Amino acid sequence: MAEELLKNEETEQDELLEDDSQKGKFMTFQTGKEFFGISISYVNEIIAMQPIAAIPEVEDYVKGLINLRGKIIPVIDVRVRFKMEPCEYTDRTCIIVIDVKSTTIGLIVEKIAEVDTIMDDSIMPPPSLGRKEHEHNKYVYGLARTGDGVKLLIDPEKLIKQDDIEAVVEDARKEEQS
Amino acid sequence: MAEEFNTESMLDMFLYESGQLLEKLEGIILEKQDADCFDDADINEIFRVMHTIKGSSGVLMYDNITKVTHKLEDVFYYLRESHPDDVPHMELVEHVLAVSDFVTGELDKLKNGEQPDGDEKQLVEDLDEFLGRLKGEITKQGIQMPQANKHVEPTQFYITPVAGDDSHFYRISIHYRSDTQMSNLRAYSATYALKEVAEDLLYTPDDILSNEASADVIVAEGFHMLLQTKSSKEEVIALIDSSEAEEINFDELTKEEYGNALGEFGREQVILEPAPAEKAKADAKPEKKEAPKPGDYVVKTKEAGKGKTLAKNQPKQQSIISVNVEKMDALMDLIGELVIAEAVVLQNPDLKVPGLELSNFQKASGQLSKITTELQEVIMSMRMMPLTNVFQKMRRIVFDVSRKLGKDIELEVVGENTEVDKNIIEHITDPLMHLVRNSVDHGIEENSEDRTSIGKPAKGKITLEAKNEGGKVYISVKDDGKGLNKEKLYQKALEKGVIENKPMSEFTDKEIFRFITLPGFSTKEEVTEYSGRGVGMDVVVKNIQSISGRLDINSVEFEGSEMTLVIPLTLAIINGIVVQVGNSPFVIETASIKEFVRVGEDSLIHEPSGEEYIVLRGECYPFIRLNEKYDLPDSVHKIEEGIVVVLEHEGSQVCVLIDKLLQEQEIVVKPIPPYVKKVKGLSGCTQLGDGSIALILDIAGLLMHDGERR
Repeated sequence: MAEELLKNEETEQDELLEDDSQKGKFMTFQTGKEFFGISISYVNEIIAMQPIAAIPEVEDYVKGLINLRGKIIPVIDVRVRFKMEPCEYTDRTCIIVIDVKSTTIGLIVEKIAEVDTIMDDSIMPPPSLGRKEHEHNKYVYGLARTGDGVKLLIDPEKLIKQDDIEAVVEDARKEEQS
Repeated sequence: MAEEFNTESMLDMFLYESGQLLEKLEGIILEKQDADCFDDADINEIFRVMHTIKGSSGVLMYDNITKVTHKLEDVFYYLRESHPDDVPHMELVEHVLAVSDFVTGELDKLKNGEQPDGDEKQLVEDLDEFLGRLKGEITKQGIQMPQANKHVEPTQFYITPVAGDDSHFYRISIHYRSDTQMSNLRAYSATYALKEVAEDLLYTPDDILSNEASADVIVAEGFHMLLQTKSSKEEVIALIDSSEAEEINFDELTKEEYGNALGEFGREQVILEPAPAEKAKADAKPEKKEAPKPGDYVVKTKEAGKGKTLAKNQPKQQSIISVNVEKMDALMDLIGELVIAEAVVLQNPDLKVPGLELSNFQKASGQLSKITTELQEVIMSMRMMPLTNVFQKMRRIVFDVSRKLGKDIELEVVGENTEVDKNIIEHITDPLMHLVRNSVDHGIEENSEDRTSIGKPAKGKITLEAKNEGGKVYISVKDDGKGLNKEKLYQKALEKGVIENKPMSEFTDKEIFRFITLPGFSTKEEVTEYSGRGVGMDVVVKNIQSISGRLDINSVEFEGSEMTLVIPLTLAIINGIVVQVGNSPFVIETASIKEFVRVGEDSLIHEPSGEEYIVLRGECYPFIRLNEKYDLPDSVHKIEEGIVVVLEHEGSQVCVLIDKLLQEQEIVVKPIPPYVKKVKGLSGCTQLGDGSIALILDIAGLLMHDGERR
């Protein structure tokens, strides 16, 4: 699996370089008070909130499965993922469907804002105060200053993967051993 | 023709075509393995298969394949032209299979991106020797026979294919520019092109493919060809790639001149294409021609004058295209979605406004439903494949193993057209192979005397049967051998300690037979090449179980055994009961449900540890409350209000408490996305009719989890 992921990463980067029109464009959304941005090259589509089939015994931020035109994809609640208090889903709640390393995943966000162009030079690394703080912000790889404030740029690969995938791999390994 | 050297695009085609041809070849061989000889149609077919593979491998420069197939082609050419009488059929069959195996091996290497580097020398020598012997025998009888092989006798004859009145004769000489690279390949491409129209073609130097040095000879002396064809001069010229040629001499000859010119080429290698007239003659020969059996491959007789189709051998099933399975799955998903969308439209709440006149709408929607249902059926049937290929492999195994063990065994195949899901075919091939091998090795008696002494025919018989019954496929391997010895099995089981000291009478026959599926269980004293190590039957059972099938064993001592694989028709669709717990729907496979019961609090037994059991008709079952296990809110807690489902998997039972039953329906199983970590007790998910998602309960997982907790 790890090899596959690496391979995918390469192709994805290639695509990124090729597609100039998507460069520097970020889909921004609001969760809580903060605005977040996610590179538009990851975004597949945005769909309205749907009935979610819950899966038992999984992480709390994995809300369950939705049916995306016959394709069954998992959805995660970004709020819960950021360790914020969960909130009620409203009409404004949306699911951003993203493709990361050949995995399709839905992100539940409170409110979609807009598509913003953010130039590389206006992105700065997040200030880190201490180790703990830094760890908490690991999905945020940069802060972008735009006209009306600061947006936190999210690395979706870290958002959905990292610990999750590691856990899955770990689980698989354990299962093999047992 | 020159673009054919672009091997990249050619390779796929070559692999596919050759693979098909080899399969076909093996089919013919095994069909006729017990016959005394091949009939004309078969010989022609094998000849053409070899010829095609030779041609295309030559173009791609896989010399070893070319040489081997060329040799076998020679043998069959000889058979076809001379009709020798005492052909050692078995030996011939072995040679053909050896070549087929060799080429298959090389093709596999190519598929894996390696170079075909198998050593063909031994095979070629064997074939040479065989051909030599064939001819030798006949020469002894004083009959003059045409010869096609330059390696044998210098006194060979050459019979010109019958020339029609409209045949033309040409002498073509090509002189390449002195700096031409690989002129031998260019020459070969020229011969390859001409072969398509040729009735007869001779060329010199003759070893253009095998001998690198021939390139120099060609550059120095030119490349000379002698051609007999029905095509006109212009057509022939158009076929020759003249890009690097300095000069092409093109002389039309009379028939007599041609005959004389043959002398120059006479000792050279001959490449022959059957002329239509001659082919028809060969076909018409009544000699040894067997009545075609059902399933025989029909050899199409070429229409006169259509020499062009010669080198292009069409696979048997030409109306088949291969489609990527992913695309099929995508199509299936879409159709599933279509059905759901249809339901959404047809049951739209907007339609429920009172007083709406809907009769036209109803008619149209009925039509729509019909089409979608049909569409669904078609896509399902697209995944189905006949078992023909699998059974073909079994023929080969019976043939190989019985020959090696010196047993005389006949294989009967029934119902090879039975269709099952593609996934299942992939899963049953190995288990089936094992069962067949077992039958040949263990089932059928060692000596034919053992058989005749108890009144059985000397020839052993294995029946391979497939049938489709009630949504399941039954594939049985039946032999009329010695059968299983219950006493022996029981003793062995005792020795191995797999059963406690229970007397034999406590076991049913089936239970005793099932001992052979235990790991490490073999009553065979000696280990042979094929079986007896006691690994295998347990693997067979495991494989079969992985596709939710089972193995039935039946045997009568001295009369034979029957092993039956019972497998579901398809894995992708299961018949399920949709139930509800809390707000979530779950699906339970219908086959694993034993019963639904409503029980009262009084049949519950509480253990101090919190475990609960249910007593039903005196039997005690473990009890799982799904709502508690999966932490589902808003569900029934009192056992009287819910429904208890008794589930069974491989002999162990478990009771599960659910809220209510929703419906029974056929569901398409989909995996839970890998991103979500695996949950014990859930095997997948599916879409329900209204588009919502239900999780599929995995009984084995539930049982396992339950066991772990204890």
